[in-house]
Amino acid sequence: MNCSPFDLKDYFLKELTDPQQRQVEAHVLTCSACREELDRLRLTGVALCSLRDEEIPQRIGFVSDPVFERSWWAAFWASPARLGFASAAMLSVAILVLGLTHAPAVFSSRTFYSRVEVDRRIQAAVSAAESRQEQKTTQLVHELVERADREHNSRLIAENQAERLQEQNYQLKLGDGAYVTPGAEQGGPR
Amino acid sequence: MIFRAVEDADLIQQAARGNVESFNLLVSRWEKRVYNYLLRITGNREDALDLAQDVFLKAYQNLRKLDDAGRFAPWLYRIAHNEAYSLFRKRKPETAVDNLEAEAGSAGIAVGGRSVFPIELSLAVAGALDRLTPDQREAVVLKIYQGFKFEEMSEILECPVSTVKSRLYTALDLLKADLAPISARGVS
Repeated sequence: MNCSPFDLKDYFLKELTDPQQRQVEAHVLTCSACREELDRLRLTGVALCSLRDEEIPQRIGFVSDPVFERSWWAAFWASPARLGFASAAMLSVAILVLGLTHAPAVFSSRTFYSRVEVDRRIQAAVSAAESRQEQKTTQLVHELVERADREHNSRLIAENQAERLQEQNYQLKLGDGAYVTPGAEQGGPR
Repeated sequence: MIFRAVEDADLIQQAARGNVESFNLLVSRWEKRVYNYLLRITGNREDALDLAQDVFLKAYQNLRKLDDAGRFAPWLYRIAHNEAYSLFRKRKPETAVDNLEAEAGSAGIAVGGRSVFPIELSLAVAGALDRLTPDQREAVVLKIYQGFKFEEMSEILECPVSTVKSRLYTALDLLKADLAPISARGVS
């Protein structure tokens, strides 16, 4: 038994932290029993270290033997490039599946036009569009003119009727013996 | 140009890809330590050499299973421990222990009453180690001679740290009783 703060064997075996080691070292300075125990452990260690390691009588070495080599598949699977290979393989499969499930686009010779023909067709389409637009514009202008004429005629008829009504009223007032000037019927000078 | 020491981790990585030369370099770094570990727990040079070769062969075959290259040493010694105990089991376990104890008796030398020479001290140490149980001796070898931490020893021996400490402390008490007086005379 010893009174050290930590086991002296742990100290001797270097299993203590630095602060713990310092505590043990401080303790053995003042405790003769622990100091003697630690000395015995150190002497044991010195004795044990007198037994030297022996040289190995025969060096161990290996030669490359196909028996112990990995298969090409294992070597491939262990290589970092396997992800790249896997991605390329998946992409190839996807392209293949797409090619098999979707019919390829067919271009007939009828769909191809010469440049002159294309220009001619564009010109014809533009002319047709312009012609339609011009026709619509002419029709619209014509309708507007007609509507304006109708409104103008209606206004003239209405004004004519109003003048005739005023004339009739004026004649009726003259017949009653009162002189009323047109426009001064309400509050005007007499 | 920058020169850098080739770490064990680099060699392990290359060897795991099947590079035999890298593995041979790794073997050259560890064979002496593994051989001496096996020699001290088996007490037989031929067995130690055969076992060391088996250990490195198994290590090469299973190197890809090693997840953390930093744990190579405990992993390698775990293989060595298993190989040694597999050998003990193949032979009669009681015979192995009996033989070790008999060898220990014959190796013990009388050194009392006079100073000891280094060779005598070495023989006394060998005798004291042989008098330990195989478990205690292996704990001493892993800690004193191979320098493993308790946690690593627990991993190698596949037992709790408390068991490792118990074996080691008992062994140290026995060794201390045997060797401290002899060592004191040798030092004085």
